[in-house]
Amino acid sequence: MDLVKTIKEHFSERLEPSTFHSRFFWRTAESLARSPLNRPQWKADRVSLSYFLAITRDAYLGRGPVVWCNLFVPSELVLGLGCIPFYPEMATAVVAAAGMGPRFIDRAAEAGFSPDACSFHRCAIGLALEGFMPEPSALLAVNYPCDSAPLSFAFCGELYGRPQVTVDIPLPGRPGGQALLAQQLEETAGLLAECSGFGGAEVEKGLAKALERSNQALRYLREVEEMRKRDDCTLYGVDAMGGISVLFASMGSQAGADFYRLLAKELRTRGCAGGDSIRLMWMHIKPWFAQGIFSTLAKGGARLVCEEYTHATWEAMDPHDPYNSLAAKLGNHFLVGPVERRATHLASLAEEYRVDGAIHYNHWGCRQSCGGAALVKQALQEKGVPTLILDGDCVDEREYQEGQISTRLEAFLESLR
Amino acid sequence: MIAALDSESAVAWFCTYTPLEILDAAGLVPVRRYGDAGSLESADTLLHTAICPYVRACLAEGIQGEGPHQAVFVNSCDGMRRLYDAWRDRFPDDLVYLVDLPRNTGDGAERLLAEEFRHLARALGEMTGHEVTAVDLREAALAREERRLSYLRACEGLCGEKRLRLAMAFHSRLYTDMPPCGEPAGTAGGVPVLLSGNLLNPAGLVASLDRAGARVVWIDLCNGDRSFATPTLPRGESLDELLGSLARAYLDRHPCARMADAERRYRTLEETVAAVGAKGVVYASLKFCDAYLYDFPRVQERLERAGIPVLRLESDYADGHVGQMLTRVEAFLEMLE
Ligand code: SF4
Ligand code: SF4
Repeated sequence: MDLVKTIKEHFSERLEPSTFHSRFFWRTAESLARSPLNRPQWKADRVSLSYFLAITRDAYLGRGPVVWCNLFVPSELVLGLGCIPFYPEMATAVVAAAGMGPRFIDRAAEAGFSPDACSFHRCAIGLALEGFMPEPSALLAVNYPCDSAPLSFAFCGELYGRPQVTVDIPLPGRPGGQALLAQQLEETAGLLAECSGFGGAEVEKGLAKALERSNQALRYLREVEEMRKRDDCTLYGVDAMGGISVLFASMGSQAGADFYRLLAKELRTRGCAGGDSIRLMWMHIKPWFAQGIFSTLAKGGARLVCEEYTHATWEAMDPHDPYNSLAAKLGNHFLVGPVERRATHLASLAEEYRVDGAIHYNHWGCRQSCGGAALVKQALQEKGVPTLILDGDCVDEREYQEGQISTRLEAFLESLR
Repeated sequence: MIAALDSESAVAWFCTYTPLEILDAAGLVPVRRYGDAGSLESADTLLHTAICPYVRACLAEGIQGEGPHQAVFVNSCDGMRRLYDAWRDRFPDDLVYLVDLPRNTGDGAERLLAEEFRHLARALGEMTGHEVTAVDLREAALAREERRLSYLRACEGLCGEKRLRLAMAFHSRLYTDMPPCGEPAGTAGGVPVLLSGNLLNPAGLVASLDRAGARVVWIDLCNGDRSFATPTLPRGESLDELLGSLARAYLDRHPCARMADAERRYRTLEETVAAVGAKGVVYASLKFCDAYLYDFPRVQERLERAGIPVLRLESDYADGHVGQMLTRVEAFLEMLE
């Protein structure tokens, strides 16, 4: 995220909505990203950085129909239909990393949005109200992982006067559930095709290509996962968590496949982190503005070896049966339905990655994750995995108590020794 | 035949999208639970404190209460789904079921909900050993419609706390065991307002509106008039047709803010304000309920555009703080007069 800070320094004087609509801004951002001074730790990160810069630039410069998506919207669908996916939850993570979350959260509060709601979405609403977001042609939300996205997108849809669609994933295990979901995805594809002007043949071809690329990415991702299970793996969770964006927002693009290919290659050749540290699993998302929490972990001899949202949760798809394939991908996610599925998934990750302990970061206002934290902890502890629940916020640094969190973390690490 | 309330057939329900007719037809006795607002802390070990207090109050009541703990939940929001999880964990041997509910309305959503109702009917039949038949379902639906109409008659002239208590009794008691309605309250005076929101405690915020001089003539709440406003009487011959028609009827109800069709909700609200002669809207909701947190700025804009004044209040369900709200309520009512 150093690049974010550099860009902020360059443009802090003229950070206005119009900044993001200027070609100059994007040229500068891209050249800063390419500069030898900006050296990401992993070569793969260069690929993801330039992908995200390119699609965000295109979104702001209106180079194609922009579709706002929440985390669970499969990017294969949007990319395959010739639209530009834009994930406000990811944009707010960048804004938070730049230390600017509070400004936009306060703007949403002025408009009547309660501080009890998720700050990812309050910040996104603040950005939209201030004119800092790229204008959508359509807004697409899925009813998981949380209630916040369909609700905040509904507000923004009205704000921009653009259609907002919510896809209802049926509860798992329902006969006919996948077909009902596939049908909704096909109808959604119809709306996206209207935005991009794609005809029938283009839709078919576009989706097939996107699914093929996604399958490629999946193959490499599985390799990455195997390598991350090694004792000496040098990819730390705090960096790996940036991969949430890659996993959710670049599947279906060539960059998504290249990212995991490069990462697998580099992990194969690197190594030697030393195998004696405390191995930890991180659950839910990290605070994007704070590094202190991770220094405490490092000082205490702990490494995050696995995170909740950076793993493949689906099987290879059939490019010639896109809607059913995507429905299976979406509908089988462990966050869909009862928390038991999430707890079982996390318990098996803990086992596969041989973790010594786990941390659940409770992001304020995230009912789906905080609401299930106690049961997740119970399931992990039954497997002998000590679990710490930390209350905080991922976007609003004012709701994050560094001292208190560090003290609790230190005590937890001590207990694991 | 209705079984006794304390019998093994009693099944708790929590959300007005619960298809009660199917539960009735399976030989169960659905009883709405309102939870114990006074002991939310006993839910802390299983549910985070930033979860809707109704959800936490229900778990608190469940934990403290004697069994059996049969319950049917609706996948209406993140909070309710987590209540289902906690309940199932706590009472693993009881009949505990989660009914899905789409956010959308229209053909696709109808198909989804109809499938869900079929699944529920089958599952309940297996769990209870009482197969749900078309005859049972039609009979149950007629009885439910009769109960709805009888509520609408009984609540005439009742306002505020009394009206809300009556609605709650119609949901939580046997139809044959309705409380006496008492004198219609406040019909003579008070400023007529419509109360809108999720679910409120009659003894807390709602009683304080009465005290402040409001005449709450329509209660657009989940535990108030909302679910009595429209019929859910299904049409059809076969069980399949009846369940499909029931799904449509449930999706056609006066919508809760968790549904996607906000436009219909706002229109219904505006029309009801005019129909009941309310001078303003008190928008009050329980904390940590995302559906209503995100709804409020839009509702406010809509109502104000229509020239309908609106006051926003918030409740923690126990409502120890309502005294502090009185001045705001009084000022609002004065402005309406
Ligand atoms: S943090 Fe939770 S509530 Fe917020 S967007 Fe993510 S899943 Fe939704
Ligand atoms: S009041 Fe809101 S959060 Fe609570 S159960 Fe109802 S919809 Fe869910």
